[in-house]
Amino acid sequence: MSTRPKATIPSLIFDIFNYTFMFGIVVLFLYPFVNLMAISLNEGNDAMRGGIYFWPRKFSLGAYELLAQNPKMAQGFMWSVLRVVVGTSTSLFVTGLLAFVITNQRFSGRKFLRTLFFVTMYFNGGLIPTYLLMLKLGLTDTFLVYIVPGLFNVYFMLLMSSYFQNIPDAIFDSARIDGASEFRIYLRIVMPIAVPVYAAVSIYSAVAHWNSWFDVVLYNPSGAFDTLQVLLRRILLEVEGIGLIRDQQLLYHKFSSLTPLTLNAATTMVVVLPVLLVYPFLQKYFIGGLTIGSVKG
Amino acid sequence: MVKRLLRRFWVERQIWILVIPMLIWVFTFSYLPIYGLIIAFQNFIPGNSYLAGPWVGLDNFVRFFDIPEFGNIMRNTIAMSLLTMAFSLPGPIILALMFSELRGRRIKKFTQTVSYIPYFISWVVVTNILFTFLRTEGVFNELLQSLGLTNKPILFLGEGKFYWIMIALANLWKDVGFNTIIYLSAIAAVDSELYEAGRIDGLGRFGLVWHITLPGIRTTIVLLWILGLGGILNAGFEQHLLLGNPMTREYYEVIDTYVYRYGVQLGNYSFGAAVGLMKSVLGVALVVLVNRLSRKILDTSIF
Repeated sequence: MSTRPKATIPSLIFDIFNYTFMFGIVVLFLYPFVNLMAISLNEGNDAMRGGIYFWPRKFSLGAYELLAQNPKMAQGFMWSVLRVVVGTSTSLFVTGLLAFVITNQRFSGRKFLRTLFFVTMYFNGGLIPTYLLMLKLGLTDTFLVYIVPGLFNVYFMLLMSSYFQNIPDAIFDSARIDGASEFRIYLRIVMPIAVPVYAAVSIYSAVAHWNSWFDVVLYNPSGAFDTLQVLLRRILLEVEGIGLIRDQQLLYHKFSSLTPLTLNAATTMVVVLPVLLVYPFLQKYFIGGLTIGSVKG
Repeated sequence: MVKRLLRRFWVERQIWILVIPMLIWVFTFSYLPIYGLIIAFQNFIPGNSYLAGPWVGLDNFVRFFDIPEFGNIMRNTIAMSLLTMAFSLPGPIILALMFSELRGRRIKKFTQTVSYIPYFISWVVVTNILFTFLRTEGVFNELLQSLGLTNKPILFLGEGKFYWIMIALANLWKDVGFNTIIYLSAIAAVDSELYEAGRIDGLGRFGLVWHITLPGIRTTIVLLWILGLGGILNAGFEQHLLLGNPMTREYYEVIDTYVYRYGVQLGNYSFGAAVGLMKSVLGVALVVLVNRLSRKILDTSIF
């Protein structure tokens, strides 16, 4: 990257402009969350009036209390977490295994498999044939519909196999001479060595699972496996929000001033905070993963 | 020959045992839907086999051009794609250049980290933020009013005329930071000796960016723009289902949402599959076309 250039007047003006611009960028990307946070911590009816910017005007934890007591939210949270954990781990394990197989120099079916997988990058059936398939397989209205179709991902496989290619074959060969099976080599050698690429892929996979909304709507219309994203959407549409609030108000007087606005803001915070808290620490992994892909193609 | 194959198979049996279940998976979830596209050429009745017919040839494809919404759908798809591209193709390049011109290491890292956030946020949340921010008593309307730009709140999400620009800006907000990563790694890969040479030749700070950095990342720019232009029929999906409402219907319906609404929700499977198939075929053709143009004009191509 460029070393420090001479400080000329235009250059100085640019620096000032650039810092101002960056300040704007930070505000643009962070302020919406600050504002939602403030609204979520405000008393409901008061928040409807507007005028809340950085801090709650009338502090209240009512929205969060309602969410904590609501069995539907607890269930949604559970399905979301379960989906992230099970979906990510199974997908990583299976995709990694296939990435290992197609980088295995001794395996004669390597080329055939590569072609078979790469075709799926460019051609797919699209929404309707996929939907009909899920219906036919009986995967709709099950939890498995979140997991099984995502077991294998070509893009993740590309990332992983380009990483595996850099592991010296000698390591595998010596294990084979010692009598280790291929599966054992994958478990005991490949996975521990390739932790960075697993970390990178797991971030993308976990975020995708956590954020997924449409497949829940499409495949689980019964509502038995509603995730947080779906519940959040319903609260925004106020159908759920008003119902939730009314039910709770009949039971507890303290929720009397809740409104869908604050409830919606609080739910958004619950959905967003895990991502916001975790991702800065994982940054080096997801950037690493992306650049592996861009260099190796 | 057969004997040799079997022998090979026997030697590699450990691997095949691992692979075969996954082959079944790939055939089921990746190849069966491709085969399922044949329903586009019939009037498929759910429950029947994919080969039961009745076969109608290209009727479903032709019918798409005759539906009353056709003009609207195509207009929305292309308009929103182009508008999004107008912001989202140059946006990350400019932002990446600005990042790379920042002097402090810490501030660079901090601003970059912040700019990646929206990429990891779901569309459900992004639309919630928009609804909260842009509602009549929301922060944005209050700001506009206090600046005297308007005297009554504007319904940004309730009027069709704002919809396209709202989507383009939302797309930009969500992806611009993350898309700088690829440009930043391209900028980092530019040979530092070129900068030395440029400085000796008397180039100033802006000259270095214009004559060395930008030409240095030219290939990356062209590759990403080819892919972008090729995806002109992908005008977004979830964001329209989430942000659109009956009042903006005329402006948000794109090919993908139409396939979902008309094909899945109303059960017109064959027709929906035909529209979807037509869209993918056109998409591939567009990438090939843009790629060929770029090879001729800019001497850079992806394949």
